[in-house]
Order: sequence, then C-alpha cells, then structure tokens
Amino acid sequence: MASHHDHPLPTLEERYEFTSESKRNLLIGGAVGLALVALGAYLLSQGGGHEAQEAVAHAAGAHEAHGAAAHAAGEHASEAHAGHGHAYHWSKRLWANLWLNSVYFTGISVIGMFFISYNYLAQAGWSVIFKRIPEAMPAFLPVTGTIMVATYFLAGHDMFHWTNEALFDKASPEYDPIIAGKRPFLNPTFYVIRMVLYFTLWYMLWKMVRGFSLEEDRVGGVDNYEKSIKFGTAFLVVFAVTSSTAAWDFVMTIDTHWFSTMFGWYTLASWHVAGLATMTLTIISLKQHGYLKSVNESHMHDLGKFCFAFSIFWTYVWFSQFLLIYYANLPEETIYYKERFSGYGGIYKGPFFINIFLNFVFPFLLLMARDSKRTMGVLKVACWAIIIGHYFDFWNNIMPGTVGANGGFGPVEFGMVLIFACAFIWSVKHQLTKANLVPVNHPMLEESLHHDIV
Amino acid sequence: MSDISGKFLVGIFDDDDVILSAVKKVKQAGVKVHEVYSPFAIHGMDDAIGHPRTKIGIAAFIFGTIGCLCALTLTIWTMGIDWPMVIGGKDPISIPNFIPITFELTVLFTAFGMTLGFFVTNGLGPSVKPLLFDPRCTDNKFVMAIDLAKNKLAESDIITMLKNAGAEEVSVKSI
Amino acid sequence: MHVTSSVRTPLVLGGKTYADVTEDVIRHVEGKPTKEWKIALGLSMVVLAFGTASVFWTWWEGLGVWGLNKTVGWAWDITNFVWWVGIGHAGTLISAVLLLFRQKWRTSINRAAEAMTIFAVLCAASFIVMHMGRPWMAYWALPLPNTFGSLWVNFNSPLVWDVFAISTYFSVSCLFWYVGLVPDLASIRDRAKNKVSKYIYGTLAMGWNGGAKSWSRYEYISLILAGLSTPLVLSVHTIVSMDFATSVIPGWHTTIFPPYFVAGAIFSGFAMVQTLMLVTRVVYKLEDYITIEHIDSMNKIITLTGSIVGVAYLTEFFIAWYSGVEYERYAFVNRAFGPYWWAYWAMMTCNVISPQLFWFKSLRRSVSFTFLISIVVNIGMWFERFVIIVTSLHRDYLPSSWAMFSPTIFDIGDYVFSFGFFFTCFFLFSKFLPVVNMAEVKAIIKTASEKLPKNVSGVSKDERLAEASK
Repeated sequence: MASHHDHPLPTLEERYEFTSESKRNLLIGGAVGLALVALGAYLLSQGGGHEAQEAVAHAAGAHEAHGAAAHAAGEHASEAHAGHGHAYHWSKRLWANLWLNSVYFTGISVIGMFFISYNYLAQAGWSVIFKRIPEAMPAFLPVTGTIMVATYFLAGHDMFHWTNEALFDKASPEYDPIIAGKRPFLNPTFYVIRMVLYFTLWYMLWKMVRGFSLEEDRVGGVDNYEKSIKFGTAFLVVFAVTSSTAAWDFVMTIDTHWFSTMFGWYTLASWHVAGLATMTLTIISLKQHGYLKSVNESHMHDLGKFCFAFSIFWTYVWFSQFLLIYYANLPEETIYYKERFSGYGGIYKGPFFINIFLNFVFPFLLLMARDSKRTMGVLKVACWAIIIGHYFDFWNNIMPGTVGANGGFGPVEFGMVLIFACAFIWSVKHQLTKANLVPVNHPMLEESLHHDIV
Repeated sequence: MSDISGKFLVGIFDDDDVILSAVKKVKQAGVKVHEVYSPFAIHGMDDAIGHPRTKIGIAAFIFGTIGCLCALTLTIWTMGIDWPMVIGGKDPISIPNFIPITFELTVLFTAFGMTLGFFVTNGLGPSVKPLLFDPRCTDNKFVMAIDLAKNKLAESDIITMLKNAGAEEVSVKSI
Repeated sequence: MHVTSSVRTPLVLGGKTYADVTEDVIRHVEGKPTKEWKIALGLSMVVLAFGTASVFWTWWEGLGVWGLNKTVGWAWDITNFVWWVGIGHAGTLISAVLLLFRQKWRTSINRAAEAMTIFAVLCAASFIVMHMGRPWMAYWALPLPNTFGSLWVNFNSPLVWDVFAISTYFSVSCLFWYVGLVPDLASIRDRAKNKVSKYIYGTLAMGWNGGAKSWSRYEYISLILAGLSTPLVLSVHTIVSMDFATSVIPGWHTTIFPPYFVAGAIFSGFAMVQTLMLVTRVVYKLEDYITIEHIDSMNKIITLTGSIVGVAYLTEFFIAWYSGVEYERYAFVNRAFGPYWWAYWAMMTCNVISPQLFWFKSLRRSVSFTFLISIVVNIGMWFERFVIIVTSLHRDYLPSSWAMFSPTIFDIGDYVFSFGFFFTCFFLFSKFLPVVNMAEVKAIIKTASEKLPKNVSGVSKDERLAEASK
C-alpha cells in the first residue's frame, strides 16, 4: 500500500533558530509586563480599590460596584460576597490575575499533549508535519504548575472561600453547612495532592511521548510510533478524568457553593479551542518566518476547520449550560449568571457578551467561507480573536468570585498577560530548537506531505 | 443536460489515474475536454478539466439565513407580539428559548436549499434521461468525452492522442 | 495525489477490482430473494402485526392500558423513544463526522448505518405519537395559527423544540442518505435487464451520469451536509435531553445532560450498527468489505463513547453529592440502592464495564464477542433511559405520592411493535437497495486495498456475459 513517489518537495531538514534578537524582544516584553504590573499594583494600592482611572470600559460601573455588591450580598448569601466580608486588599487582584493566567496557560499547554494524543489514537496522518508545535507546548506546564501551587499556599485565602476554617466549625458564627458537607473534597491536603498529581501526570506522560518522538528522529522504524499510540491513549484516559476535576478545582470551587455538572467539559472545550488557536497561530508565524515550508494550504484549511468547529463546540457547551440554568431558574444555580449579568454594578456584563462575540460570532462568520481558512491573514485574525476571547471566558469565571466589585482591566491585567505570553513563547521556542521542525521518520509523514483537500 | 448535441469523441479508460493524466495531456495539447464520466469521484479531476468551482455554498448560506430569520420571526411574533405570554417567569420574548428552533430551521433550510441546488445545477430529476456515452461509466470504466465542434484539431489527431494517453477504445458518437 | 502510509491496515481485502465491487453489492439487489431473507422478513412482519394490534388497542382503549402510575407519567413510552432516537444517531455520525475526519473505514458501513438511522428515528417518532394518546390530534404539535384553538404552540417548551428537532433530523437524514444513493442507483439502472427495475431505479437515479462536474458538486454538498448534520446530530439529542433537564426534577435537571446524552446516543447507535453489520456481512458475504478492521474501529468508538458516558455518570454522582442539595443526593442514592437498584446496576454493568473489555485487542477483534457486547450495550442503554425516567419520577418531592411502575402487556406489545417495524424496514432495504456505498468504496480501493489486482478496473458483468456466450 505504501507508495513512494518521487516528488519535488521542499527539504525536510529544518532547524529552528531561537535568535538572540527574539530572545531580547521577549525579555523586553516581559520587562514591560512587569513594569505594567508594578504600575498597576501601585495605582491599586493608592486607589484603595477605586479604579475609576484604570478600568478601561467600566469606569462608571466600578463606582457603583460597592453599593451593588452589598445589595447583592443581602439578597443571596453567596460565599463570594460573604468572603469579602473581611476587608478587600488590593493585592488580591494581583493574586487573582496570577491564578487566572496560570490556569489559562496551563490549559493551552496541556492541549498540545491532548492534540498529539488524539491524533495518534485516530491515526491521523495530515497533522504529522507540524506535530512538533503542539509537542513543544506542554513544556510550559512545570512553570504554571509551580506558580499555581505557590499561589495556592501564598494566597489561597484570597481566592478560595473554602480555605476559611471557620466555615467548617459548627461553633463558629461563620459555619456553613453546605460547604462543610464538601469537606472530604475541599480540604487543603487533598487539594494540593490533586494539583500536584495533575501536573505530574500530564507532564510525565508528555515527557514520555516527546521522548519517543525525538528518538524516532534518530532511529526511525515504527516502534516509537506504536509506543506513542499507547502512551497517548494512556494520557487520554488520565485526561478524561483530570480535565474535569482540574476544572472543578481550579475554577469551579472559587464560587464554592455553586456547581454545574457541565463545568468540566465546558472548561475543556474552552482550553481546547484556545490551544488549537495558539497552535495554528504558531504554525502561521513559523511559516511566515520561512519555516515549515511543506505546510500547504490544505493544512491551513484543516487547522482553520478545527478552530471553526471547536469554537462552535465551545458555544454549544456554553449555551447548553447557560440555557439549562436560565430555564430552570433554581436560585442556587442562577446566582452564578446573575452575578455576572447584573451583580457588582454590572461590570461583568460587558465581558459576558464580549466572550460570546469573540468566541462564537466572530470566528463563526469569519471562518465559514472556505477561502478564509486558506488565507493566513484571515486565519490569524480569527486565532487572535479566539485566544483573547477565551481569556475573557476564564476572566469572567474567575474574577467575580475572587475580586468581585474590584475587578477590571488595567495595567495589572495587561502586564500579567504579557509576562505569561512572553514566558510561554520563550518556552515553546526553546523546545522547537531541540529537534528538527519536521519529524522526518514519522511513518505517516508522506501522507502529511501530500495532504491535499478540496 | 439534454440540450447537448453534436459529434463527440469518446475515449474509454480503465484506470482513474490514467484518465486523469490523459486529461492533463490532451488539455496541454490544446484539446477542450467536454466532460469525464466515472463511477466515483476522482480527486482533482474538475481542476484538470478546468471546471469552475461550484457556487452551491453561496446558495446554502442564503437559504440558511432565510431559515434563521423565518424561525426568529415565527417565534418572536407568535410568542411576543401576536399573543404575548409569560411562561416560566420569562419575558414573552426570551431569545435563549428560541435558539433551538432557530438552529433547527436554519439547518433545515440550508440542507434542503442546497440539495435542491445540487439537483437543479446537475440537471437531475425523476424523468431525466441520463446522457450516457457508455453505460459502463457507472460500473468500472472511465469515459472522456470531447466535443468535436468545439475543437479545432483534426479528429484523427485527437484519436491518436487519446490512444497514446492510454485509452482502451476510442469511438465517435453523435448525440 | 493520495499517499497512504504503510502503517495503515487495509480496509478492502481480496484484491477487489471496481467491477467486483459493483458485482458483490448489486448481486443481492438483482438476484431473487433468498429463502433466509423471506423467512426473516416473514418473522419481522409477524412481530409487526402483533405489535400493530397492541398499538391499535392502546389507542382504542386509551393510555390507561399502560402501567403508568401516579407521578410516573412517563415510563416505557419515553424510554423507548429516547432509546430509538439514540440508536438513530450513529448513521449520521458515521456519515458526517467520520467523513469530516476523513476516516476511510466509514465507506463500507455508512449506507446501512444511515438507513438504520432513518428507521430508528421513525420508531422513535411512533412512541411520540403513541404517548399522545389521541394520535389524531398529533397536528396540534405543529405551529398552526390559533384558529385551531386559542393559542399558538408554546415555543418555549422543549417538547415543541423536539418536534422541530426530530422532524428536521429525519428529513435531513433522508436527504443525506438519498444524495449518497443516487450514483449507486445509477449503477443499478445501467446494469438492469428488466424494464420494471430499469424504470424504477432509473427514476430514482434521476439521470445521474457520473460527470466530473456532478461529482465535484456531489463531494461538495456531501461535505456541507456533513458539516450541517454534525451539529444537527448533537442538537437532536441535546434537545431530547432538555425534555428532562429544563425541569426541576432531581436527577433530571443537570447541565451535563446535553453532551452526555449525545455520547450515549452514539454509543448505542454504534452498537446497533455493529449488530446489524455483523449479520449483514455474513449473510451477503461482504467480509472483504466489512473487515475485522472495521469491527475493530467501531469497537474503539464504542469504548470511547462508553467511557465518556461513564465519566458523565461519575460526574453526576459526584456533583449530586458536592452540591449539597438534599433532593439531588437522594435521587442518586435511590437510583443505586432504591427499589429499582437492579435497573441501575444493569445499566452500570452493561454500559460502563462491558465496553472496557474492548481494551483487549483479541476481544475487540472477535466477531462473536463483539456481537454479544453490541447487544449488551443496547440493553444497557435502554436501562439507562429507564433509570433516568422512572427512578426520578417514582419518588418525587412528596413521599405520600411515591409509587412503583410495572409494565403491562401493552407496554411490552408497543415496544415489540417498534422492533417489528424496524426489522421489516431494514430487511426491505437490504434487499432492494445497495447495502454498501459502491462509489465510495471504489474510491478507496487503490489506497486501502490489501493487494491490488493487475487490472483494477476488472471485468464487468456485461463483458463477462458476452464472453460466456461466445
């Protein structure tokens, strides 16, 4: 069945060069980010929580926020508000941002492994040629993992209402029977074990598969391919459970009372499409810098389809969760959307719609046509929209429960994203230098090189 | 399709790759190929013949938009305007509740509109007599038809060309 | 140019030529019905007749003949409905999703799977009509102007969404199936010797002649239809799940229902396709087209979707506990340890545990074991719907209204009706239409054959007959 035709193809020997110029740019970017965070922190500390100057779009909303929050707290004793009963300190916003970006970039990184694994399992051939890009992404996991564990220890109380011991103490006036009932799951020891477990499992399995992939470059044959399928599948099994539990742990437990069975898959859908967009963007940018010469329009078309389809999938999951909660209107569930819709002076309403627009309407309309998926410029715009949009998705899920009325977009937010993005890009670039950009001995390489779709 | 008439050169091939390269060869020699008939879709054939890309997609989009608007009109008008009702404590016009029906009707209109377009542009219909240069083209043979009226080259030259390109049989057929 | 990697396993065995494909598939359409087929069809029609009598009596007497009891207003009817709709998901999944993902192994099974889909959806719809009690009023579910009554239908109701979803799904599935059939019908037409079949298949083939322009449009609309059908499949079972999930009944109102129902539907649908294909390939001697590789791939999907369903079960259970909502917790405890515990554990064993056995390659590739599991899975999926519906309803918020449900002969008879109907349709289909998509199989012969014959075109029937008569 194998057919080897002599075809003029661009050379497969491609070494990625991490230039000192790009290193410098990343360092500058990181420094600017740091400066912005510092500036933002200073402003926050001076403003004492009033951020009218810096909240870009919601200057008016932020002012009324305090009154609204107090009102909301009276209306439904949600933990988010009760948690803010003890004074809000401006540093909380720094921690929340650190957590938000770690969660988001953890997702993008781990999706690299997810993508490789399901491509192995499904015996996909077309994606082989750019496989090194998703393969490079999970290397960032130890960074976000460390930051998250550290953040949990340093500022867990600022993020997670359930870390307050008094909630579990029957004698305490703060005793909360519902949260106390969650004790076997929501206790610091188990939480930290879980967190460490996720990162260890994901990272170790990636290490294995990455190892096979690099070895395949050296020795050829199909042994490494077979082993990659096995360990990729093992990862999928692990990820099937841990993606959901991680979503609960990292995001859902912030709003401690609230629950939604969909939340795990919803977060996975969000991570997934953001990861795909990051991957696509990286491939386009490498191609525009003269690398990945064998990636053709058909590959772009398929990557575009992936971004398109999984944007719709995310929308489906988002909408299903929203509709069911909206429709049944049970107070313990609806509070989640109410906070985001009309709570805290309505500061979260804008981002709520930006979320839907950037993650559904925009990529849907933009990527529908065939030719737009084949045009790198258009694809790039769509990917940026998706990446920014899903940042908003996580922002909207994390901020109301942590900083509440003190949320906003200012130097801290922009700076923190910049730092993480620069670090992530650094990590990916560093990984890319470690191997040939095309996995030359992959048994399905030929299929990928000749990938041609209508 | 039945409006086609004239004298055709019909080349029969027994391999899809051979006929594809034959099409490319005769095209290069300046022959205009009328159409290629095959038992299954041959990847890259329409490009080789020079058929323009189909525009059914645009029709599909338009039909879909109509379906979407119909659904929204129907639900919003009946539930919110013609006989407003508060159901489950929701606004009479509660858009989230109308999304499922909107989606279904969008898909329904797109699918039917597009399939209709497919039958119409292909000239297919229950009483249509198929234009068959050779009935084996729905079984195992590949047929290339060349309209002689639209080609300046001599008939014999094209016949030789086809034979050289791998045709098993070449015949002339008047329709 | 298509290139196929050497690590891929072949999908067509026996060194088939294009002519062989036509011959192997059309043979059954052209030939006289076999004795086995007549017996099978006869049996299904007997079952159908019994079922029809039962349905007739249900309508004549009213729904009181069912075992519905107090709060259990839905039981076997909706269980059967959801079960059949679920089964009706695999056809479109195979055609659409696997087409989008360019899984070539779908070509041998998509036709039969799509046909099965259509019949399964009809069976499902029959339960909707049945449970209306007064089927002559069925048109009330349509959005008709209010001269028929005082009001419009309630577009806020998931039951009305369902009317739209199921009818859209049914018609689009038929469309998809029919468009795929057209080139194959033309093949039958061009081989037909007798006038009647030439006329019938000729009319159905609509003058298809296999021109490159037509093929490119065919491929194009197949892709777009697939792109439309994929979210459509999702939406149908999503909306079915919303029949339950929009309510405030414990065990029903949970946000994971939409994707979890979809996964379950695909799971049961694949099992049903597996059951039918395992029989068809033997009866019609299509082992070279529906190979162990196909069975293996389908089993992998069964394991995948079964595992997704398993994760959803666990998620539901966990969140019921985590939520701290008393009623939700009780609903789940009651499922597992209440009076219907056996239904729950039947579901768990059949759906979560049994497909995990397919992790063993030898079991995955064993025909008899696969056949067994394919039936076990569908038993499990029936129990899943029974568990969701009956155990949630039989003990509601008010203990004084707690009740039990037990099926009557008419519950059973009406269920039997759907089997009679389904198999009658399927046998008729398998006799009069090509069970394998010939055009698409021919298109993969060169890249996915175990070995290629010297002359891939082969000798067609006419040529062979001419040769023989010389």
